[in-house]
Amino acid sequence: MHKTILFLLITISSYTLKGQTTGYTPVANLAKFTEQFATIAQKTETIKSDFLQEKNLSMLSEKISSRGKFWFKKENMLRMEYEKPYEYLMILNKDNMYIKDGKKESRVSVKSNKIFQQINKIIVGCVQGAVFNNPDFKMNAYENKGVYMVELVPVAKVLKEFFKNIDITIDKKDYSVTTIVMNENSGDNTTLHFTNRELNTPIPDALFAVK
Amino acid sequence: MRYLLLSSCLLMLVGCSSVYKNLQPATGDINYIGKFRPDFRLALYKTEVDVVGHHLSGLLLIKTLPDSSVRIVFSNEVGFKFFDFEFRPDGGFKVYYVVKQMDKKPVIKTLKKDFELIMLREQDIRNGYLGKDDHALYYIIKRPKGFFCYVTDKEGTELERMEISSPRKPIVQAIMRNYKNGVPDTIGITHKNFSFAIALKRIER
Repeated sequence: MHKTILFLLITISSYTLKGQTTGYTPVANLAKFTEQFATIAQKTETIKSDFLQEKNLSMLSEKISSRGKFWFKKENMLRMEYEKPYEYLMILNKDNMYIKDGKKESRVSVKSNKIFQQINKIIVGCVQGAVFNNPDFKMNAYENKGVYMVELVPVAKVLKEFFKNIDITIDKKDYSVTTIVMNENSGDNTTLHFTNRELNTPIPDALFAVK
Repeated sequence: MRYLLLSSCLLMLVGCSSVYKNLQPATGDINYIGKFRPDFRLALYKTEVDVVGHHLSGLLLIKTLPDSSVRIVFSNEVGFKFFDFEFRPDGGFKVYYVVKQMDKKPVIKTLKKDFELIMLREQDIRNGYLGKDDHALYYIIKRPKGFFCYVTDKEGTELERMEISSPRKPIVQAIMRNYKNGVPDTIGITHKNFSFAIALKRIER
């Protein structure tokens, strides 16, 4: 019993601490927020952006950074091209995935791989807003003056093995996703920062060709 | 029964010595091979793994912590971690994380041995001996079930290859090339008894 109370206290205090230290409060009108996000996402045909990915290895106090370009086109096409410090290309085109790693190319059916299915759902879902309705996650939404912070806590077993939670930061000005932080149970995390975003500029389908 | 025991012992002796049996004894300091020990203070490698028809790629980070333990973390380019191993200075080994699909004793044991081979740890080398043939010097280290062997040119200036051998034959061959500030730029590990190869190319950050 004591242990239960202690656990509850720790859980509650850590949530309170999160709110206090980062200056976030729970989103007052959640329905309005998700509706507005969905409306904007609906009008988004394409996104072109630069990204910075940081893999934080907490116990090693080490960070592995990589940069590249990100393209998205409705309905379900995604291209992430890592340029520095290594070259790596990943294209998601509906149910198919293409990877080019140096000279090696591989194609995977997303359907055949549960993990790829989830990666697809998360990244495309973040862009389109569908992730908020994803039954595989429990959603908590916070806000401060400038941004919304959506915390997704996995419910599905396959995701729980990989993530503790996923934090998505959304700019209040234009409802654009600026950061996705995927927190692992070990304390490590992977952060994607999006910059130089261009909305609805024409992007040819050829860019997403899974040859 | 006595004959059976005697013949078993003889077989074991023959078996133990067969892999490097044709070498001539050589004199020299076994610790000399330590000069090829990589200085893995902090190194990041682009990594490709081919295992029985499957191809995996990612980034391998090797870091020596202040307590001299070495951590090896492998994740894919998108950030998903495959494993996080620790090699302690006292020879201890700890798995901090391994992805479910790889969480199998033989897989972890194989990777552990492969990394131990390329780390040339002092405690492993201490109990070795030297052999030679017309072309090379062999630094042979007895392991519980076989050998680690480091092969250099006759002068001992170039590390030509490294081997993990069963009592009868080499089962893993590895190379480390183009050292820069004590860190090899290229590392290759190839298994002979099944289709498994690891290729590492250092990334300058």
